[in-house]
Amino acid sequence: MSPYSENDYVEMRKDFLKTDPPKELLALNMLFAVTYFFVLAFFFPIGNRLLFSLLIAGEVFHIWQVLTFLYTVWETSYSAPRDAEHHPPADVFITVAGEPTEMVRKTVVAARAMDYPNFNIHILNDGYVADKSNWREIEALASSLGVHCITRTVPGGAKAGNINNALRLTSNPLVAIFDADHVPHSDFLAKTASYFVDPKVGFVQTPQFYKNYAENYLTKSSWEQQELFFGPICKGKNRLNSATMCGTNMLISREALFSVGGMCTESIAEDFITGLLMHAKGYRSIYLGEVLAEGLATEDLLSYSKQQFRWARGALDVIFRYNPLFMRGLSWAQRIQYLSSASFYLSGLFVVIDALLPIVFFYTGMVPVLINGMLLAAIFLPYFFFTLYVIQRSSNFTFTFSSLGFSMGGFNIHLRALYSAATFQRSAFSITDKNWVQGNFLPLVRWHIAYVGVVAIGIIVALTREGFSASLINNTAWALLNIVVFLPFIRAALPTRVAQGELRSASAPISQKNPYDSIRKN
Amino acid sequence: MTRSERIKTFSLLACVTCIPVALSYFFFMGQSLRLDESQSLWQVSRQVLEIFTIVAGDVHVPLYHLLLHFWILYLGNTVPLARILSLLFYLASIPALYMVGKLAYGRTVGLFTAFLFSISPFMNWYGNEIRMYTLFTFFVILNQYFFIRIFKDTVPSEQVWVGYIATAVAGIFSHYFFFLSLAAQATFYFLRQDLFPKGSLKRFAFAVVVVVGAVAPWGWYVFHLGQAGFEEPALVAPTSVNLFSAFSQFLFGFQNDNINTFVLSLWPIAVIFGLFTLRRSYRMMPETAYFLTTIIVSFAIAFFGSFIIAPVFVSRYLIFTVPSLYLLLASLFSNYEPRFASVARYSLAVLMLVTLGIEIASPTTPVKENYEGAAEYLNAHTTAQDAIILSAPFTVYPVQYYYRGPSSISTLPVWNQYAYGPIPAFSEGTLGSQILQTTSGDQNVYLLLSYDQGYEGSIKNYFDTHYQRIYQETFSPDLNLYVYRLRYDTAVSEAATAR
Repeated sequence: MSPYSENDYVEMRKDFLKTDPPKELLALNMLFAVTYFFVLAFFFPIGNRLLFSLLIAGEVFHIWQVLTFLYTVWETSYSAPRDAEHHPPADVFITVAGEPTEMVRKTVVAARAMDYPNFNIHILNDGYVADKSNWREIEALASSLGVHCITRTVPGGAKAGNINNALRLTSNPLVAIFDADHVPHSDFLAKTASYFVDPKVGFVQTPQFYKNYAENYLTKSSWEQQELFFGPICKGKNRLNSATMCGTNMLISREALFSVGGMCTESIAEDFITGLLMHAKGYRSIYLGEVLAEGLATEDLLSYSKQQFRWARGALDVIFRYNPLFMRGLSWAQRIQYLSSASFYLSGLFVVIDALLPIVFFYTGMVPVLINGMLLAAIFLPYFFFTLYVIQRSSNFTFTFSSLGFSMGGFNIHLRALYSAATFQRSAFSITDKNWVQGNFLPLVRWHIAYVGVVAIGIIVALTREGFSASLINNTAWALLNIVVFLPFIRAALPTRVAQGELRSASAPISQKNPYDSIRKN
Repeated sequence: MTRSERIKTFSLLACVTCIPVALSYFFFMGQSLRLDESQSLWQVSRQVLEIFTIVAGDVHVPLYHLLLHFWILYLGNTVPLARILSLLFYLASIPALYMVGKLAYGRTVGLFTAFLFSISPFMNWYGNEIRMYTLFTFFVILNQYFFIRIFKDTVPSEQVWVGYIATAVAGIFSHYFFFLSLAAQATFYFLRQDLFPKGSLKRFAFAVVVVVGAVAPWGWYVFHLGQAGFEEPALVAPTSVNLFSAFSQFLFGFQNDNINTFVLSLWPIAVIFGLFTLRRSYRMMPETAYFLTTIIVSFAIAFFGSFIIAPVFVSRYLIFTVPSLYLLLASLFSNYEPRFASVARYSLAVLMLVTLGIEIASPTTPVKENYEGAAEYLNAHTTAQDAIILSAPFTVYPVQYYYRGPSSISTLPVWNQYAYGPIPAFSEGTLGSQILQTTSGDQNVYLLLSYDQGYEGSIKNYFDTHYQRIYQETFSPDLNLYVYRLRYDTAVSEAATAR
């Protein structure tokens, strides 16, 4: 039974959007961050140069993340002009590639019930090209509900190709796109279309809300991870004309889409890149901070990992293939925003660096800086706690430990995506399973578990070398901190978590399957 | 609260309050008099007007000394009895702290905070010290209670305001650092004016006028005397280690360097505690913000003030932040998931109890000052032909309290404690002549060194290079006795050598 009442859900749809961080706090946080960095970088005697360089590289990244976050959320109340009576005709695309028919039905029924004068609904059925068994059922569903079904017979471009195919067969000036599990509210079109009174508006994005938030620990954690992004970050990006296109729950100008050659098929994050290209063409973007559609979070760690990998891989393409620094037509604010969003997925690299520093000490005795630990504590703790508080204030106190744990615990996914992006491997788009897939997910956290083992042995090695030294105790505490941060991710992989939930529609066990097996060489 | 809950709460509080009584009776009350305590006893043994002069010179405010003066006058002048006065304020602070905790966060947090307070190694130490620190803490707790009522009550009554002003006035006469508590309240008020009722600014202004009016004559008196702090140990500017050691002491009491290093090195664990607070809809309550402000503002002023004005960063001066720290921890744990909350509560309580045990039992506890043991040795061994030399000079107070032997006691640098004015500065050039002056004709010198003021090494070195050391003993950390033979021509000195 869900621990949340209906009222809780109503509040949950709004809480993360009530963002109003005081500017004084943000300014003070900047001061703390910069002070911490400069003291660490320039005033501490250096120990091992390589370790120091790695430490500073990590801190440069963290400072970049903190400063760009503060810049983004500096003002989150901007609202673009709109005209509530502006109702241009729209095509509604519901992208389907093998999702359960009942799931699609709910979405189509809700789409049909949208309160808008002029729109057509199209199910973009990729079941045939994706070799899914229910593609005929989807066609029958469309027929029974009186909506169009566009079934592709020629593959290519994954979801983006599916949408581009439909664009060729439709003509309304606005195009709404929903994933098969994202059920729109009746006022979705009316509210989003009103912004297109400005002809330079390229797309309007709304939040992704996971209505299965309370299903299990993973859905809860992944929603909490999303809240920070769809709350203060997206609202801040709205002010900077840098809204992120998220692939679903959005309304796009057909003209803008055509101007960039349709949805980008070159990257598995087709939405993110398409939004970037639209901005480069001078189109405006709007983020409407109101839940107007409700979807499903992935319910198991395997599906979650695949989804995260896809997002990470696509976002990192922005750095390696579509770097906004060198792209014409973007403002500096937009460049910073895109780099900031994309660089989030580099965090895995720096999580690993930070996690390795105590281990290097355990096995070699080498440290990056030669200071007494209390001096570091004196500059680190105020900065750290203040930053946590600012994130909490910015997100209307929706940011949680498990969301942090998931962001950091996903380092192995991020690293894999980084390797894939840096070596220009081509990744195929794969649909994220929204139902619980049965299996043993512990292999997905083998690095995390291995870390615990390496730390335990390392402590013994260091203890043998130097006894209970202050450095050993301090590094043990750091290692313990890393382990604690990994715990939410490990917890999500535990077999008991699977057993506690209701196992549904698991078509085939994928227990030992590599979640990144869709990568193939160019 | 129902009647049964009230009875249960009262019973629990009574049990919690008994803990310090038992600890005091079995462990703390019988300890040797320490330097600060001996100064207190010496100061309050004077006439009232003289006490004012001495306390002003000692950079303190006189309320505690006056209370102790009359306490001793009517109840007797013994160390345990004098310590009981401090213990009483400590015991009174426990239910008072429960009231603050209950007001701010509810009964459970109030009770747990009171429990932490009662097993606190730091508080138990000062709850048995003949100094003003528990009185100071008591008034801070009461003052905080009324302050919270002011912003929590919809319309605070006149009694609340009167209570606030009265405790502020009493508090300011218990310790100068009470001003830091008021500064924290002012900071909180200006940050969160929205919490306070209409017209509160005028009332706070009135409170300031009353407090300043009450303390002004004392300020004028101190200023008029012109000199202050000449009997205090020299303090140095604090470091980051001192900063975190203060927190460590507040939680785990006074520990030797090894334990202290162990505890301080674990500081990244604090990050874990912080991360666990990241829970959905867990917002910082105004009371939490207030307690946090109390700690941050007080520590910041004491720490940075030590560089800007004069070194004043001493953990015992900041004792008034201990209740705020415990309240914060208790409220923090209450916001964890229930399982984590229990683990955190038990872990902290167990750690505090263990460190309390170590503080009591360990001979290496750094604040232990066994002047009684040293004096007993001197009583047993010194003769009229021996000299006793103490350094630092102000350590004369505890030795004088216990020493009943025939030898003369002098200090290095040479100082007359009865003469008003600062202790003379140490001079290496005149050291030899000062020693000759104080040991003229004596056979042995008993050199008792403690509270190193920067010249202890020079003194010891002088004796080591000019006289034969015939005995040495350490009575407590940094309290060392050295016996030197000055002459070889008497039976007494031969007997001393034979020892």
